[in-house]
Amino acid sequence: MVLKGINASDGVGLGCAVCVREESLDYSDVPYSGKEAEKARLQNAIDEFNQRTAAMADRIREQTGPKEAEILTGQITMLADPFMLSQMQEAIDGGSCAEGAADAVCTMYADMFAGVDDELMRQRATDVRDIRARLLSILMGVTGIDLSALPAGTILVAHDLTPSMTVGLNKENVAGIITETGGRTSHSAILARALQLPAVLSIAKALELIKDGDGLIVDGGEGVVVLSPDARTRSEYLAKQKDYQEKTAALEVYRDKPTADADGKYYHLYANIGSAAEAEAAAQSGAEGIGLFRTEFLFMDRTSLPDETVQYEAYYAVSKTMAGKEVIIRTLDVGGDKAIDYLGLEKEENPFLGHRAIRYCLDRPELYKVQLRALLRAGAEEQNIKIMLPLVTCVEEVRAARELLEQCKKELAESGVPYDKDIALGAMIETPAAALIADLLAQECDFFSIGTNDLTQYTMAVDRGNAKVEKLYSPFQPAVLRSIRNVISAAKRAGIPVGMCGEAAADPGLIPLLMCWGLDEFSVSSASVLATRAQIHRWHEKDFRRITDEALGLSTASGVEGYLKATVNK
Amino acid sequence: MVSKTVKVINPQGLHMRPAQLFVAEMGKYDSTVTIIFGEKTINAKSIMNLMASCIKMDSEIEIRCEGAQEAEALDAAVKLVESGLGDL
Repeated sequence: MVLKGINASDGVGLGCAVCVREESLDYSDVPYSGKEAEKARLQNAIDEFNQRTAAMADRIREQTGPKEAEILTGQITMLADPFMLSQMQEAIDGGSCAEGAADAVCTMYADMFAGVDDELMRQRATDVRDIRARLLSILMGVTGIDLSALPAGTILVAHDLTPSMTVGLNKENVAGIITETGGRTSHSAILARALQLPAVLSIAKALELIKDGDGLIVDGGEGVVVLSPDARTRSEYLAKQKDYQEKTAALEVYRDKPTADADGKYYHLYANIGSAAEAEAAAQSGAEGIGLFRTEFLFMDRTSLPDETVQYEAYYAVSKTMAGKEVIIRTLDVGGDKAIDYLGLEKEENPFLGHRAIRYCLDRPELYKVQLRALLRAGAEEQNIKIMLPLVTCVEEVRAARELLEQCKKELAESGVPYDKDIALGAMIETPAAALIADLLAQECDFFSIGTNDLTQYTMAVDRGNAKVEKLYSPFQPAVLRSIRNVISAAKRAGIPVGMCGEAAADPGLIPLLMCWGLDEFSVSSASVLATRAQIHRWHEKDFRRITDEALGLSTASGVEGYLKATVNK
Repeated sequence: MVSKTVKVINPQGLHMRPAQLFVAEMGKYDSTVTIIFGEKTINAKSIMNLMASCIKMDSEIEIRCEGAQEAEALDAAVKLVESGLGDL
C-alpha cells in the first residue's frame, strides 16, 4: 500500500516499523483489591519508579550533564515526600485503587503548583504531572518505548516528533521517520533534517494503518511511504537509495570550494542550528558561519529557566567551535507552537499573533537581560557573535532591545566582567510589517536576516501547520517575493548586510533571484550546505538577471514555481 | 513549643534544592516542624508543601517546633536558613 504525505527530509529508508503510541492511562476498569493490597501495589510502583528514574538520571548525567539529571533526581525526592504518600494511602483507605490514589494526589499537587505566582515554582507542576503519568504507567503495566535502544533498521512511526523524544534517540539504528502531523517547516521536519534522516509527515492515521514490525519504505524526497512492499518495489527503492547516496557523494567536490558564482563573486554560506551540539556538524558540513542559532532548545526539555551560566556556556561553545566565523544568535522566540510551561505564557486564541518572541521578552526585561548578558559575555573572546531579534514589527522594539543591551553592557563593565563592546544587533525580518518598513528598520539595525518561513506564513495569512491551507504557503507567491526584494534593497541602500535563514535560502529555484537582488548571506540546514554551494556556482550574472526578470513577470505562485523549476533543472 | 522568626536569604527562595536540604535535615528530629509564612501554616517536613508555599528571598518566616527534641530541631532549622541552605 502506498501512503502519501509531506516530503519533509530527503533520503530513502527501508526498514521495519516501531510505533510510538500515545498510551492510554484510563484506569476506570481497575478493580479495588482491598486496602492492604492496593497499598502494597502503590509501594511497589513507587519503588519501581525510583529505580527506573535513578537509572534514567544516570544515563542522562553521562550523556547530557548533571543539570538535566537533577530534574529526574528531584522527582524522586518529591515522590519521597512522606505526606504525599500518606495522602495517597488515605485515598486508598477511602476506597480508591492505587491508580486512583496516585492520580488524585498528583493532580492535586500539580494544580497547586500551577496556581502559584512564582515562576520557578510553577514549573514543578510539569514535574508532578510527569510523576503521575509514569507512576500510572507502572501500575497499569503500560511500557513505553526506549528510543535509545531501537533495533537496527527502525522506521519510527509517531503522532508527532517532539524535541524531548529525539534527545535520547539512537540515530544510527533509525532508517526513517513517519508522523501523523506536521508540515515541511514543522519541528518534526526540522529535527528530521538535522538528524539527516528521511522523513514523511502528515500521513493520516499512520498509527492505525501501520503495526509494529511491518515492512516500510520511506521516500522523504517524494513524501511517499510504502507499507509492506513486495520484493520488486523493495529493489526499486534500494536502487533509488543508492542513487541518492551517490548524488550526495557527488556534492563532496564543493566541500572545500569557496561560495562564489560563475563570475567569481563571493557570497556567505552559513548553517542554521538549533543547539550547541549541532555547531560541530555545521562546521563539518562546510558552512562558513552560523546564520541562525535558535536558542529555544536551551529553554525546552527542562523545568526552570536556564541561568546566565548555562546560557553563556552554550553560546560560548558555539562561538569557540566557529572561531573566526560569524555566529548569529536569535534571542528567545517562544509562543505559538513552542509554549514552555515554566515561562507562564498564557493560552491565547491566536498565539501566532499574540504575546510571543520579542514582545514577550521586552515585557520580561529581568528574564531577557539574562540572555543578553550571556550573549555579551560569550562574545568577549572571539568577537564573532551577532544578536538577532525575532518577530520585529516596529522600530520601537529594536530601540527597546538596544536600550536593554546597553544597560547590560554598563552592568558588566561595572562588575569588571569581559564582554563584546561592539556586538552587532540585528532584526529577523519575518513579518509583513518589518518588510514594509525595512528602510526605517535599517537605520536602527546592524544587519538583517530574512526568516522566510514566518514571512510566508504572515504575508499569506496561512497557518503552515494546517494541511488544508498549506498549498497557499509558498515562498514562490509573488507577494512573498516582492517582500523579500524590498527588504534586500532597503538593506543595500542603508549599507547593512542582509541574509536569509529560512527554507527558501536553499531552494534551487529561488537562489538565482536572491543572487540577483544582492543577498549577502545564505543560511541553510547543514544537510543543504553543499547543494546550495553547488547551485550558487552555476550562475553567471547575466543568467540570474534574465531568470529574475522572467519570474517577476509571472503573476501566480504556480507559474513562478513552474518556470523556475523548469529553468534550473535544465 | 519553641519558635523563632528568621529571614530567608537565598536568592531564589526555597526552591527545590534548598527545600530538599531543609526537609532532609528536619526529618532527623522527632518533633513536629511548622513554618508560619504570612497566612500560611506549612508542614516543614513535606517538600511538596514547602515548595508550593513559594517562600522567596527576604521573606520573614516563623519556625515552630513541638515535641521531643524541639530545641535541637529549632536550633538546626534556624542555622540552616541563616546559612542560606547551601545556596550561598
